[in-house]
Amino acid sequence: MLSIERVSRTFSNGTTGFKNIELKVEQGEVIGILGTSGCGKSTLLRVLSGLDKQYDGRVVIDDETVHDVHKKIGMIFQEPRLMPWLKVHDNIGFGLQKKEQSKIAQYIKAVGLEGFENHYPKDLSGGMAQRVAIARALVTSPEILLLDEPFSALDAFTKMQLQDLLLNLWQTYQSTILLVTHDIDEALYLADRIIILRGQPGEVYQEIKIEKSKPRSRGDQDLAALKDEILQLLDLSQPKAI
Amino acid sequence: MKEVIAIPNVNEGKEKHRKINPSIQRVLLGSIVPVLLILAWEYLSRVGVFPPHLLPAPSIILQSLMTMTSDGSLWTHTSITLYRLVLGFLFGTVAALIIGAAVGYFSTVESLLDPLIQAFRSIPSLAWVPLFILWMGIGEPSKVVLIAVGVFFPVYLNIVSGIQGIDRKLIEVGKIYHFSSLQLIRKIILPAALPSFLVGLRSGLGLGWMFVVAAELMGASTGIGYLLVYGQNTYAPELIISSIVLFAILGKITDAILKRLETKTLHWQDTIVKK
Repeated sequence: MLSIERVSRTFSNGTTGFKNIELKVEQGEVIGILGTSGCGKSTLLRVLSGLDKQYDGRVVIDDETVHDVHKKIGMIFQEPRLMPWLKVHDNIGFGLQKKEQSKIAQYIKAVGLEGFENHYPKDLSGGMAQRVAIARALVTSPEILLLDEPFSALDAFTKMQLQDLLLNLWQTYQSTILLVTHDIDEALYLADRIIILRGQPGEVYQEIKIEKSKPRSRGDQDLAALKDEILQLLDLSQPKAI
Repeated sequence: MKEVIAIPNVNEGKEKHRKINPSIQRVLLGSIVPVLLILAWEYLSRVGVFPPHLLPAPSIILQSLMTMTSDGSLWTHTSITLYRLVLGFLFGTVAALIIGAAVGYFSTVESLLDPLIQAFRSIPSLAWVPLFILWMGIGEPSKVVLIAVGVFFPVYLNIVSGIQGIDRKLIEVGKIYHFSSLQLIRKIILPAALPSFLVGLRSGLGLGWMFVVAAELMGASTGIGYLLVYGQNTYAPELIISSIVLFAILGKITDAILKRLETKTLHWQDTIVKK
């Protein structure tokens, strides 16, 4: 489906970005990418999405080397990034052709925004705005969905709601998901595989497979044990020498 | 005295028409000072403090406006002035929109064109008048072009700065959907730059009025600007002041239209919650 072959992207000072990332993602898999800030998680997504083209290595989607934004990719950003001049309905249909506009209603329903079709983004709460963004990304039926810390700006309850929503949508539409996050619980709750990036520039430090079927319980014992393990892998305790 | 009251009444009607603020109280409050000034002016003219051949009484000005209305000349002059203004305004705006969008979006176009445009901008636009008359004669084209030139610069500047101030994050959303440059401009950049475009339109309109007067002062046989010159040559101060009043009223109306357009099209903005 998606394979990342020795991809590096570093910035002029040489310490940010990531290097030598190798990753193969199967159809329908949910990959959580975890890492402390500055290890190039978001940059990795920007490279995969095609927004950042200054990288070394090869990104291949279905045997096709990616040079530009790929048709099969959808992206949800950290902020909703809605067009403030469009109503919810038109924001969701933003990337659609004219003749496909009939698909919108189905996705409004899927993200639970019925009745808000004619609201402007200024009238939405943060959680609702992010739902619109999710619907907008899904409506074009991307095979690979990239999420860049999509829920990090939301409060704890909204965050859990939207994680469940994402899970439901994933079960319905079976898209491949790459989720960048700094929230270990989120990664444990959603991902089939967690990639831990470490270092500056970031490298793949560890890969953890989570076999547990979804939906998972948020208070699961095994997941709690895994969380401890991940915390140790991330090595947060050690004071950073600056 | 009756006619004197009529002028603030006109203002009142206009305020209502604009529907910006329906509160009558505010309208009344705003008309107190003008009414008092007009009353004082009328009084001082009647007792002979203001010489009538220099500053005629408001009632006389109103009378001259009425005469012009009844013989139809008011409409002739007003319509030709509006025609020139609208035409020049349209040409100037369309040119500014196209060039401004290109300059704001493509950095090569910016380095190609912007220095030149900035250089042209520093030429006082009235300096073009002799050249335009030489090229296009004294008829309508030279006037319309002059107005278009005047309107172009404020609209252009606001569009360019509006586009360059757009959040790159919104543009990235368009890129995710494989928008072509043209689609990006049409679906993201122009709507996002709309607020500053409208600001540009309003200041462009102000300049448009200035240039329509300039164009008509310099050679015309119709138009409100021509009435100014005619009034000066025939020693008719009431005609001059009538024309000035007309300019004030028309300027206010056209600005109100744009302001209305602004509130109508920008209701999505988080900042426009003013009542």
